[in-house]
Amino acid sequence: MKNNIRVERAISEITQAELADKVNVSRQTINSIESNKYIPSALLALKIARVFGKAVEDIFLLDDKD
Amino acid sequence: MRTNYLLPFKSRYFGIALILVHIPIKLYWDAQYPGSDIHRHIDSAVTGSTLFSPPHLFFIGTTLMVLIGLFLIAFSKEKVEDEQIVQIRLDSLRWAIYLNYAILLFSLVFTETNESTHILFLNMWLPLLFFILRFQWMLYRLNRSVRKNDADIHV
Repeated sequence: MKNNIRVERAISEITQAELADKVNVSRQTINSIESNKYIPSALLALKIARVFGKAVEDIFLLDDKD
Repeated sequence: MRTNYLLPFKSRYFGIALILVHIPIKLYWDAQYPGSDIHRHIDSAVTGSTLFSPPHLFFIGTTLMVLIGLFLIAFSKEKVEDEQIVQIRLDSLRWAIYLNYAILLFSLVFTETNESTHILFLNMWLPLLFFILRFQWMLYRLNRSVRKNDADIHV
């Protein structure tokens, strides 16, 4: 699963640490998600999408391998 | 909020203290009673002859200290116990169980029955120890990858 959290963060001008705080996870987890090393749960994906005011499908995209 | 049945973050320090305190006690005992082989006492304890004798009680005390210490270190929460940490924790626990049973099966086939207390010892330490090492190693790798990503972004 791919995501464009990094782009959305740049648009919203928030850091990884700030996003991590808003969704109650560690900065490491946000970093891992951005680097596509960790696939978040549906709950976390929904929380992240809500921070950016977008739908989950706008932030997270299915990969060819999925 | 799901209950994760983990101990508070700070209980790991109590666990480390228990293990550290056990070292001088063990060294003192070994210096006072050289040649007191704990395994021999345990083997004979099984037959009932030295059950709750001073060496056996010493063994119970020190073993409990280390075991409780390892348990506290293994099952205390991280500062931020989020879903990625939970996944790493469960993954490490799974590998610890795999390794434990692989060694258990191996020793079942290739050891004699009178060595069963050693297998019991192995079973007592190995899953906890392997779990802690693997879990901490994965956390270290996670933090290293974050630092590397940060460095890449700033280049």
